[in-house]
Amino acid sequence: MERPAGIFDIRYELDMAIVRTGPQWVCLIGFLILLALLPLFTGSYFLGFMILTGIALIAVLGLNILTGYAGQISLGHQAFVAVGAYTTAVLMDSFHWSFWATVPLAGIAAAAVGVLFGLPSFRLKMLYLAMTTLAAQFIIIAFFNHAFPDYFRAVSGIRVNRPELAGIDFRNNEAFYYVVIVIAVLMTFLAKNLVRCRLGRAFVALRDNDLASEVIGIHVAKYKLYAFALGCFYAGIAGSLWATYYRSVNPLHFHLDVSIWYLGCLIVGGMGTAVGPVFGVVFLRMIRELVTFISPILGELVSPINAPKIGPALGIISWALVVILFLIFEPRGLAHTWEVLKSRFRHWPFKYAI
Amino acid sequence: MSIFLQFIVGGLFLGSMYTLIALGIVIIYKSTRVFNFAQGWMVTLGAFMLVTLVGKFGVLVGVIAGLAFGVIFGIVIERLLMRPLIGQPLIAALLLTIMLAHVIEGINILTWGSIGYDMPVKLPGQSIKLGGVVISHVLLWGIGVAVAAFAAFSFFYWRTLMGRVMRGTAEDHQVAQSLGLPVKGVFSLSWVLAGLLSVIAGLFLGVVSGVHYIMYTALLGAIAVVLLGGIDSIAGAIVGGMILGVLQSLVTGYLNPALADVIPYIVLLLILVIRPCGLFGLVRIERL
Repeated sequence: MERPAGIFDIRYELDMAIVRTGPQWVCLIGFLILLALLPLFTGSYFLGFMILTGIALIAVLGLNILTGYAGQISLGHQAFVAVGAYTTAVLMDSFHWSFWATVPLAGIAAAAVGVLFGLPSFRLKMLYLAMTTLAAQFIIIAFFNHAFPDYFRAVSGIRVNRPELAGIDFRNNEAFYYVVIVIAVLMTFLAKNLVRCRLGRAFVALRDNDLASEVIGIHVAKYKLYAFALGCFYAGIAGSLWATYYRSVNPLHFHLDVSIWYLGCLIVGGMGTAVGPVFGVVFLRMIRELVTFISPILGELVSPINAPKIGPALGIISWALVVILFLIFEPRGLAHTWEVLKSRFRHWPFKYAI
Repeated sequence: MSIFLQFIVGGLFLGSMYTLIALGIVIIYKSTRVFNFAQGWMVTLGAFMLVTLVGKFGVLVGVIAGLAFGVIFGIVIERLLMRPLIGQPLIAALLLTIMLAHVIEGINILTWGSIGYDMPVKLPGQSIKLGGVVISHVLLWGIGVAVAAFAAFSFFYWRTLMGRVMRGTAEDHQVAQSLGLPVKGVFSLSWVLAGLLSVIAGLFLGVVSGVHYIMYTALLGAIAVVLLGGIDSIAGAIVGGMILGVLQSLVTGYLNPALADVIPYIVLLLILVIRPCGLFGLVRIERL
């Protein structure tokens, strides 16, 4: 860890602190205040954008633990989000539970399903394990689509009501925004700490070399299952919020494309870094907003007959192309660019950097 | 009984389509260790191109132009996307083909929209009736082409010099390079072959079921075929394809069409748990 000149860690607490210097505290608190005050001076549309970004961020944080730190590629993350969403929806719809009680249960249910589909990791790695998560994507969604129609309601989906707590109605976006942002900030903090502790370092070890980590005493298969459980727990929480934000769950929401999109966010942001998911999700969501904004204009400009199909097509091409460019030119993602920028700033006017 | 045989025949055709797609994946994997996730999407693009080209230039010229497109498309992908990743972790290449699949999907929607097309190609021949079982000549063509492709690639890999070079390259890119093998040429060639196969598969699939951008969802089953047969086995592609095709057809007929859609993934999960190297794949001693 590089520190500005003249700042030294003279006590262990300083060495372990996440926020190290005064300016960092100022930035952090200023950012949190900005997040808290956002509903006062923005419209409902922007809050919707922030809510979706927050939900996607929670899911991608989970994927970062599973893929970025532990190195197990998941092509079925949205299916685990679906498990969380359906847990919340069924408990609220059929059993009349309170939303707040279903959130942790959604996480636990997704974690359990994640461990179930992670079990082949006792024998498999890399490509083969990625293929089991691909199978998970289709099997889980088909299960929700066809099994137990009394509870899962097949293609028609389940309607979900937004919750209420202590007289506050979370039906409007302003109130629901706080639910999502508080959970997202807590989950980000949890993820940051999780990967600094014994568990996270074991994940990094088995990602970098599974044989060597086995030799130094890490039970590889067990820790892979931990990674699946944690990653999918995050997905489940995201799913719970997803269900309440859209007020309905439907098998069509949980498509393979979204799983791949999460993976794209992680690549763009930077795998295995704490800030990567934030950068990646915000960047790709901004691209999506930009495309939804310019595609009608572009459609009118190029050919009005083709206008309706330009939107969805550009939506897919733009983000996939961005991810391809990052894979080729900057595989370490925006997190690395950010580090380089900070280093340039710190060393200015000298040229040398990380 | 004749209904049962009818399902078997239908399954064999589905299996031959799986085989053509799986062969494309196996060929690229065999020579470059890159798992091409985008093969199903490439087939869709190939089918769309054929629809347009045949509509413009007539059957013969159109199909030849379509095959030429497959070759050029393979070269373009290899040059622009795969070559910069030589030496990078193989997982980066897998992620890149996944993203490539989405770019192709976007191009398909942008160019041809979300409506279905008919393939304006009539295959010569007539459907025959064999003891109560009607066998369409299209099915015979499909199965025949799959078997021919299998035979041609088996011969190519085991009997020709270039095939041996490709197998050698797959073992270790650096060693192959230092022995003077044309590693980059092998990469290009394998993508060209995959591009060609995708256009051929697109032709037959288009003739039978029409062309629609959503076609790839059915073709993702080919991934299960590849792993069932063994990821680096050409024989595995055809045997796995036929097994899965017939299984899926029988489940559609006798159990539940909804279940049939997930059959490839259930098979995929089972084969990975029971025998990760697949039926005919090379067993690598690599255990955790």
